[in-house]
Amino acid sequence: MTHAGVGGGTDITARMMMVSAPAEFGQEFTVVNRTAGSGAQALQYLASRPADGHTIILMTQTHLLTMLRNRNLPQLSDLIPLARATEDPQMILVRRDSPLRTPEELLAAGRARSLRFGGTHVGGVDHVAIFAFGRAAQLQQPTLVPFRGGGDIVINLVGGNIDVGLLNPAEAESQLRAGEVRPLMVMSEQRLSGFPNVPTGKELGINATAATVRGYAVLRGTPEDRVARLEQGLIRAMSGPIYRGYLENTGQSLDSVAGREVWGRQLTGFYEEGREALTALGLLR
Amino acid sequence: MKASAAPSRSSNANRISATLVALVAAAAFGGTFLFDPVPPGLPGLGAVEFPRLICITILGLAVLLFLQEPGQPDPDNVAPDRGALAIWACCALFLPAMALAGMLGASALFMVVAGWLWGERRPILLAGVAAAFTLCLWLVFVRVFRLTLPGGLIFGG
Amino acid sequence: MEGFLGGLAVLVDPYVMLMVLLGTVLGIFVGALPGISGSTTIALMLPMTIAMGPVPAICFLGAIYCAANFGGSITAILVNAPGDPSASATALEGFKMAEKGQAGLALGMSAVASAIGGIFSVVVLIVAAPLLAQSAYSFGPPEYFALALFGLSMCAAIGGDSAVKNLIAAALGLLIATVGMDLTTGVERYAFGVMELSDGIGFVPVLIGLFAFGEMLDQAARRYGKPTIAFTDAARVPGWAEMRKCARSIWIGSGIGTFIGALPALGATTAALIGYNETRRWSKHKHEFGHGSIEGVAGPEAANNAAVGGSMVPTLALGIPGSATTAIILAGLIVQGVRPGPHLFNEQPTLLYAVFASMLAANLFYLAMGLYMARFFARISLIPSAFLWPAVFVLCVVGAYGPNQSMGDVYVMLAAGVVGFLFRRAGFSPAPLIMGLVLGGMVEETLKQSLIIFGDDLSGFLGRPIALLLFAVTAAGLLWPVASRLLRFARAARA
Repeated sequence: MTHAGVGGGTDITARMMMVSAPAEFGQEFTVVNRTAGSGAQALQYLASRPADGHTIILMTQTHLLTMLRNRNLPQLSDLIPLARATEDPQMILVRRDSPLRTPEELLAAGRARSLRFGGTHVGGVDHVAIFAFGRAAQLQQPTLVPFRGGGDIVINLVGGNIDVGLLNPAEAESQLRAGEVRPLMVMSEQRLSGFPNVPTGKELGINATAATVRGYAVLRGTPEDRVARLEQGLIRAMSGPIYRGYLENTGQSLDSVAGREVWGRQLTGFYEEGREALTALGLLR
Repeated sequence: MKASAAPSRSSNANRISATLVALVAAAAFGGTFLFDPVPPGLPGLGAVEFPRLICITILGLAVLLFLQEPGQPDPDNVAPDRGALAIWACCALFLPAMALAGMLGASALFMVVAGWLWGERRPILLAGVAAAFTLCLWLVFVRVFRLTLPGGLIFGG
Repeated sequence: MEGFLGGLAVLVDPYVMLMVLLGTVLGIFVGALPGISGSTTIALMLPMTIAMGPVPAICFLGAIYCAANFGGSITAILVNAPGDPSASATALEGFKMAEKGQAGLALGMSAVASAIGGIFSVVVLIVAAPLLAQSAYSFGPPEYFALALFGLSMCAAIGGDSAVKNLIAAALGLLIATVGMDLTTGVERYAFGVMELSDGIGFVPVLIGLFAFGEMLDQAARRYGKPTIAFTDAARVPGWAEMRKCARSIWIGSGIGTFIGALPALGATTAALIGYNETRRWSKHKHEFGHGSIEGVAGPEAANNAAVGGSMVPTLALGIPGSATTAIILAGLIVQGVRPGPHLFNEQPTLLYAVFASMLAANLFYLAMGLYMARFFARISLIPSAFLWPAVFVLCVVGAYGPNQSMGDVYVMLAAGVVGFLFRRAGFSPAPLIMGLVLGGMVEETLKQSLIIFGDDLSGFLGRPIALLLFAVTAAGLLWPVASRLLRFARAARA
């Protein structure tokens, strides 16, 4: 089950996994799309199903923020993480003729005035990430210019309507290759293989990361043997050539697929970061 | 239809629709006061200005419509007879029927009952068409496109 | 040119040709069916295409996309239920034509106009895609705001029996568009804690309800007054006289559709509505509009299919999808290892031109099928009401439920149907409401984004020449009828 509409990135992630999953589990899989309320409906649907491991949710950070803002929904503690499906680090991008040519210039400018960052809606994942970045880099609180999606952000970045874009490399791939946008830093732990010359935020002394992550979880109360079987089965299904090809072609790293420990730690970390950011932004009540 | 009564009826229709529209706008305007407050420190317009502007515009337009000269009445506007009311009631009953018989079961049932009310008096033909149409829906939506349609108490989707 | 010939050569491959043909048939079918759109189908077919190899896979998906846009017009014309949102403008005149017993004429014209629009846009795509794509960068929120205002400015003129009623309908559409989470403040509006409403009111259920269910409620009241239509009339397909009459509408629609489609933020539905407006504005037979004008079918159909080619421009040349459907096609391309972007035109020309060639082929396929089948489809308008309209209601329910599998959408559809029925009875038209709904969200959102970008300073618009130009065109369009009437009045007074 996914929170995304048919054909969204998250939906496609699920469907790609499902190509090889039936063989792995000896069972049919169906995707149930429950789109409403930024994952709220998906969480509710999950809660309405028995905790037998037959209903798996493909979740993203969006679900965590939705949980934080709506305490009536299943919370992170009500879920058991199974496996991470994708991890797509984000980059700080500026346009080619931007006066901010280096990370240092960006930081200096950001301390002198509030920079305009492109992101998704107010209170969304990008907003939290931008807030966390601004605080870790000691910038003046950035101005978020909200857009409908990554494509709009890229266009407005190149068009000069925003100063900085926080984007996945794949979202801006053609502009990166054409040299229309310039990557200043990547917000991951390690440099990306595709951009060996772009420093990470941590190297520059900015203790913040940002990535689009997706992964599977089931309801707490699912028997332990089922959880273990699901974890292994999902990981194996996502190690097949079709899923690997999908990751490679969308520019996501091959070690995206990870077990429940890594995935659970990451979820908890983001949950805390999200809570801090939303509180500071006055979005939590 | 009585032609002499028509103009006054149409002007009434305009006044009724103007009043209804104004009520909707007023309710929507009131609704803006129930929105959550905009988080502090955000630049740009807030959340309530645009809806309020539209509500005020609608109220103004409704006043204009109320005062407007009535136009020619539409000869197609036939008053609903008992059969039409029954068909409308069938539409309203579709949802409860769905809870009982599932979306597909309710569909077949609706086609038979509404078809009968519509004036078709060949029950076997009605049932046959309804069954065939429902079967097609099931084939396309459930079998081919793998969409789950809601089931009911006695008949699964 | 070599690349293009290479692309054409791909079509000689019977396997590819078969895929295009299959895609076209499937596309027409799902396009015509409310509740399953082209984008849903493409998403569901995506995993299946992986094994096919890039060229057949992309040809298959592209053919579905082209044909689904045409398919939507079939149900729009026959039962007033737009099978695809982009066909809503077609329903306005097309269904009136079917009621007059001209279903075949409307269906045939829809096929011809769609194919011309589609082919026109593919030719533009071949010639000018990289160039046209660059213009996407000059369109930021201020420009989209100006464009949306332009689209809305014609609201008073289209539809119901008075300008005031049209404006009220449009404003109601704008109001409905505000439901859900506000992008720039994160505030939920008119959702009242109902989860289904927090993402806004879905476009598809409103359309299906307003048009098809509303029509069904009305039909129930006038079951006995229906004039019988002679089959020979209904099955008549357009001839040269109709073609000549509609030529201008088709070119207007094609041009507008290609341009609007090429803008990443706008899609086929907007293209069709603006196409309808402009067709009417430049038509020599304005009085026919609202009563089943064949030009009113040709214009929007050309526009929405031209938008298909148009929306491939940013998808292929910038890697930025111009619509929900192209977003999925983009995903399909990427999964196949194709890297969209300006360099695609140099690096993988054969593949690119294979896509173009397959889109051309799909357009020709559905033109042939559409013209041939028009006389058979037209029979649907002859099915006795007692069978047709209950089936339409069922299709409305399933169609509203289908895309998101949400009962909330069914409730919205039912409510929209009641509104649609009341509208009909009170002399309002759904057309301006649809315009308001489609463009309303954009008007507000882009205005707010512009203000954030300009730092809360409205004068920032002065520094945007394209936006100013669009404002000027809007103002001229609004003032011209007034000015020309004054002029005529002055002349008459002197004489």
